[in-house]
Amino acid sequence: MTTEVEYGRYPVARLAVPEWMLKVERLGRVYGPFDDAVIASTGPEVGSSKSALNGAVVAAWDVSFEVAAGEALGLVGESGSGKTTVLRCLAGDVAPSRGEARLRTAAGDVSMFELDPSARRRLRIDTLAVVYQDPAEGLKLNISAGGNIAEPLTAAGWRNFGNIRNRASELLTRTEVPINRMDDLVRGFSGGMKQRVQIAKALANSPSVVLFDEPTTGLDASVAAGVLDLIRSLLEEHRIAAIVVSHDFAVIEMLTSRCLVMQHGRVVENALTDQLLEDPHHPYTQRLVAAARS
Amino acid sequence: MLLDDLINPTQSDELLDEFAKREIRRAMLAAVAIPGYQVPFGSREMPVARGWGSGGLQITLAVVHDDDVVKVIDQGDDDGVNAVNLRRLVTTSTGADQTSVAAEASVIQSRHRIPEDGLDEESILVLQVPVPEPLRGVERDMRELARMHAEADYSRMWVSLYEDKVRNGVITQTTGYPCLVNERYVVATTPIPRWDIPRLHESPFLTLFGAGREKRIYAIPPRTKVEPLTFDDVPFEVEDADGASCAMCKSSDAFLVSLPNSDVWMCSDTDWCRRTREANA
Amino acid sequence: MRREPVLDVRRLHKSFVLHAVSDRTVVAFADINFTLTAGEHVALAGMSGAGKSSLLKSIYRTYRPDSGEVWLQIHAGEYVDMCSLSDAEIAAIRGHEIGYVSQFLRSEPRRGALEIVTRSARQRGMTDHDAREAAAAALQRVGIEERLWDVYASVLSGGEKQRVNLAAGTVHPPRLLLLDEPLSALDPENRERALALIASLTHRGVAVVSIFHDLEAIQRLASRVLVLEKGRLVAERSPDELDSRLASAAR
Repeated sequence: MTTEVEYGRYPVARLAVPEWMLKVERLGRVYGPFDDAVIASTGPEVGSSKSALNGAVVAAWDVSFEVAAGEALGLVGESGSGKTTVLRCLAGDVAPSRGEARLRTAAGDVSMFELDPSARRRLRIDTLAVVYQDPAEGLKLNISAGGNIAEPLTAAGWRNFGNIRNRASELLTRTEVPINRMDDLVRGFSGGMKQRVQIAKALANSPSVVLFDEPTTGLDASVAAGVLDLIRSLLEEHRIAAIVVSHDFAVIEMLTSRCLVMQHGRVVENALTDQLLEDPHHPYTQRLVAAARS
Repeated sequence: MLLDDLINPTQSDELLDEFAKREIRRAMLAAVAIPGYQVPFGSREMPVARGWGSGGLQITLAVVHDDDVVKVIDQGDDDGVNAVNLRRLVTTSTGADQTSVAAEASVIQSRHRIPEDGLDEESILVLQVPVPEPLRGVERDMRELARMHAEADYSRMWVSLYEDKVRNGVITQTTGYPCLVNERYVVATTPIPRWDIPRLHESPFLTLFGAGREKRIYAIPPRTKVEPLTFDDVPFEVEDADGASCAMCKSSDAFLVSLPNSDVWMCSDTDWCRRTREANA
Repeated sequence: MRREPVLDVRRLHKSFVLHAVSDRTVVAFADINFTLTAGEHVALAGMSGAGKSSLLKSIYRTYRPDSGEVWLQIHAGEYVDMCSLSDAEIAAIRGHEIGYVSQFLRSEPRRGALEIVTRSARQRGMTDHDAREAAAAALQRVGIEERLWDVYASVLSGGEKQRVNLAAGTVHPPRLLLLDEPLSALDPENRERALALIASLTHRGVAVVSIFHDLEAIQRLASRVLVLEKGRLVAERSPDELDSRLASAAR
């Protein structure tokens, strides 16, 4: 039976959706020569990101998304799915083969991939920061915790020793690194502590976008939980647009509200995080979720 | 060749041919045009070991004419063995005169010091550089070094100063202090003491830096801004002999060095010391 | 004059395609139609597996319906169709216009009850100061003692967690509140508090769609009962007409 239903149309409200801070369009990265046929010879349907035609590897193709300030977007998939390639293209560590990435800055929108390397690096100093899985990639291990934070600060023009010390200690306190370890070499820190220093360094110049690459992979479960909790609080506090790359649904569930699922270099599903976990559509996503739940 | 030719070389035995001089002069022009930028040059074999002033020597030979007057010092001393050797090489192969008085010299070659007085618009100071790369201590990769200079990205240098201050309470770097030239390039100031650093700033004379082993030439043209890298709140300080004065000439306003294992201080610049004593007498 | 609905669900269908089981299709529910006005409380009843939770999740869009429309009033006289909104729009709506209280508190390591509820109030647009005061009041309403406010919620008992969850969902109630067995783990005293709280929300004009597993809660709170059977809406009852057989079937 049906209840009384009125079949008229409703006046439709226009919703205010936060504007994007980072907008990625048709991003692709191919290792080796490629044309349409090579691209078509890879992907989830084929079951490989490596082309049988010429051996080229289509690490990522046709990846598009937007992230707004205060929002965290997840990139999920197994290793080799292309999620880290996407992150590295955005970080500037890898040159994309195609696509566009627009970043909103105080000085207007910039197309990141069209910038020269020097302008690109400047973005990394104060606008777009990266937290790598391996602290050795984001930190200089033979430099003190404070010195690691001093690097982006001095790069941004800080020239007052006292101010640098104060800012570094403020960041380390916020990331729960004991302040009496500020002058110790990072080399001697535990894995979780190194990750906290890396996060403090990433936040040094209050970036508007932060990319997290498997930020807790390799940490003990209890340590990872603490670092995750820290990241989540920071994302809430700072209205950062975040991209979180992870193969771990616990990380994705805790940090993100929306996700892209990648397989063999392609986005196979794109949904709200709770939808992915509770109502996954793509066979690959269903397998991933089932594996995570078991 | 006769033994006599070796002992008394004539002017035809120039150490640099005209092609080599021209190449070095071109590099020097580029260096003057881009203050602080390290210009590569085709460093030649010199009759001194690399690392013993071969870069400075090539610059001196390329700028000196037979009407020049040359002063060469090792530390502040005109009579050091190395200084004597280099000076003789220069004068005999170019026909230039020599002097120990900086004010009389048109070209002064040095490694560790800037003479205390006497340099003016007519002077050219040639500094022998062991390690021309100021960032060598923080980065070894050549491409990364080139990038850092190209982008004026000196944050790693600042971090090393930060670490020095944190570790030691003070910035311990004494000689060859890194300086920003013309608000653009950071340079290594060879092993000259901090005492001499302020004297490079807006100086009336041209300073040419030559690194023979590393095949680099760079320059600080006259009237160029030279700023030691320092934090706003950590002032740059020159060496302090703690109120001591020279045991010989009684100067306390010159750069003094102490004799090993003693409280005896003496002027580093021996010619300055001599002239002060003569004036006092 | 007929009151404008807060929620209008039209011809809503939801099925799951299980790729791991030879792409088998399982229908959760089909052709669901109902409306709800402000201050109205509709309870869903039916056997386990009848599609009650699926329906709630589809309205909230944790599940993606196959077809149909879910019109939600977000301003006076203005609506959105939850089924056709973008993900970003859904995320924005969830913060303000629609709330969902499940049986379980989402895992929140290293966060105290007060912080969880305060954050929920902030997300609904309150200032930090107001959010904190509202959170304290909400925790008091559900009977969480002040000494527990800063204890990590993850170490609280099942009943305490459920009350924290209810407090977070009702601290600054949205226009439409979806309740999925929010009382299941409560002792009689706290259950009484929670029932009073939910009743007060509807009095204040919040529209509620609920699932309760006992007749008493339905009869005390709901203005209407929709009975689901095998994914179909088979009857609409007033709570008084609801017999104990149906109520127990709802368990």
